[in-house]
Amino acid sequence: MKETMFVDPQRCIGCRSCVAACRECSTHKGFSMIFVDYFDRAETTATMPTICMHCVEPTCALVCPADAIKMTEDGIVMTALKPRCLDCRNCVNACPFGVPKYNSQMHLQMKCDMCFDRTSEGLKPMCASVCPTGALSFGTYEQIVPLRRTKPVNVHVFGNQRVETKVYLMLPTDSDEVSVEGVDAADPAIHESWIDTQAEETDKSNQF
Amino acid sequence: MTQTRGEAQARGGNEGMNYRNPTVLGIAAAAILTILVVVGSRNLEHFDPALFGYTIASIVALGAIVFRYALWLQRPATRAYFWRGLDLFFKRKKLAKNTATAAGTIATNIVEQRFIFKRSRQRWLMHLLIMWGCILSALITFPLSWGWVHFKLEGDRGYRAYLFGFPTVVMDGRSVLAWIQFHALDFTAVMVLAGCAIAIHRRLKDRGAIASQTFLLDFTPHMLLIAVSVSGLMLTASSLWFAGYMYSFISLSHQALVIMTLFYLPFGKLFHIVQRPASIGVELYQQRSREMEQAVCPRCGTMFSGQLWIDDLKKVVGQLGFDYRMGDGHTLQDYCPRCKRILRGHAYAGLAEKSEPVFYGDRMKMHDERLP
Repeated sequence: MKETMFVDPQRCIGCRSCVAACRECSTHKGFSMIFVDYFDRAETTATMPTICMHCVEPTCALVCPADAIKMTEDGIVMTALKPRCLDCRNCVNACPFGVPKYNSQMHLQMKCDMCFDRTSEGLKPMCASVCPTGALSFGTYEQIVPLRRTKPVNVHVFGNQRVETKVYLMLPTDSDEVSVEGVDAADPAIHESWIDTQAEETDKSNQF
Repeated sequence: MTQTRGEAQARGGNEGMNYRNPTVLGIAAAAILTILVVVGSRNLEHFDPALFGYTIASIVALGAIVFRYALWLQRPATRAYFWRGLDLFFKRKKLAKNTATAAGTIATNIVEQRFIFKRSRQRWLMHLLIMWGCILSALITFPLSWGWVHFKLEGDRGYRAYLFGFPTVVMDGRSVLAWIQFHALDFTAVMVLAGCAIAIHRRLKDRGAIASQTFLLDFTPHMLLIAVSVSGLMLTASSLWFAGYMYSFISLSHQALVIMTLFYLPFGKLFHIVQRPASIGVELYQQRSREMEQAVCPRCGTMFSGQLWIDDLKKVVGQLGFDYRMGDGHTLQDYCPRCKRILRGHAYAGLAEKSEPVFYGDRMKMHDERLP
């Protein structure tokens, strides 16, 4: 599959259509695997959608003790195999993007698998098919990139770790990578604002 | 200095699989079972030569399963969990409590399988039928084919079962109980068939299942189980209603199919039978770590997991060749999942404030070789 996802947070209006549509995906029926988070709710209404970035070397799959997370030949990192997943939550806490979700009653991890039931049949993923602004787009590099004035980047740097992904993030500047740093004590802006502390507990631990 | 995982592994030397220990363990397990077969059948006195094929296949399959299990334990995460689970279980002051937790997990997860019920009722029923059908069949057939159980006729109708060479109670060979016992494998075969029917129906109808299933992983085990059950039922039918017509051929086919299923155990989906009980250790670990110091997210202050557990995870992540240490002295895994998303959001939003020029797109057409 040559197609992939292109995420452009600049375009996200926080409508959460993707969150609703994601529940319709047949591989995780009824549960949404996408996140739409506020950057800093006290300062701005800006939101950021997070889907699985489908890492080239997925940390989640490698830290899985049960070897339950498999990759397809196309580089799609699949949701955990149901007979194997032990609900240990290694993947949930190891993922650099904070993507996998778990349910302790079902003893199950689930994550975005780029709507494998749809994309394997040539359809767009649910989120990309409903996103009204193109913040989430699905297509080939050649199809999507010439239409945009943003730069596709598929490299994140978390501290010392460089993570390459199948999914692209569209950047407004000419950077080649997104460098994520931890909380800098000197910069209060990056600390959580009072209003974000109201977020649901489950939202913080990724329980679905 | 940033790194990719491949670079880190190249520097640290690629940690390959060690095949020696699993091989030794596998052979040892097979040898122990062989000794038990000889001892249990009293020097093969009560061993049924007609079941020789099953005996050899089960011994080889056990060796293969132990080999595969030992290989599986070499995964850094599995190894960490395995040892931590044992370590926590044998904490002297908590042994009684841990035994109670483990017993509770066995009851709800392995016997009742409540977690499958929560996933889907249909799946739960399907799994219950297949699992108990297989477990009961194994409990009957393995001791028989290893010579651990044999029967002797006492009087006209009395059957006495001998377990490991020791006599048990006498049973009336014409009683209802005896009839149920003699036909137990027929009942379990029907259970397995019903379960497989539900599973295959789901695999043919469910869109999610259709998209992700593979023939070798998801259909082969059902085919094997159906073939074993049907050929087993044919044995009963042949002896009851067709005066033993084609009995030896059916018997040989049944044996071949059972052996194939036994040899499939270490590879495919059926490996979860031996893998799944690891959830007892995982649950124990989670319960105990809940009582210990909690990991606090450095950004939002949420307690999102046990500290011991996060520390173990960080070690595993390091062993795998990743280096997620951040400039602020934390490791990325110290942050709760939501804060990881927010930190990335801030990194993205902060790009505009950095010195890089604004990207206007047209440059892309001139320099990107991937575009026509």
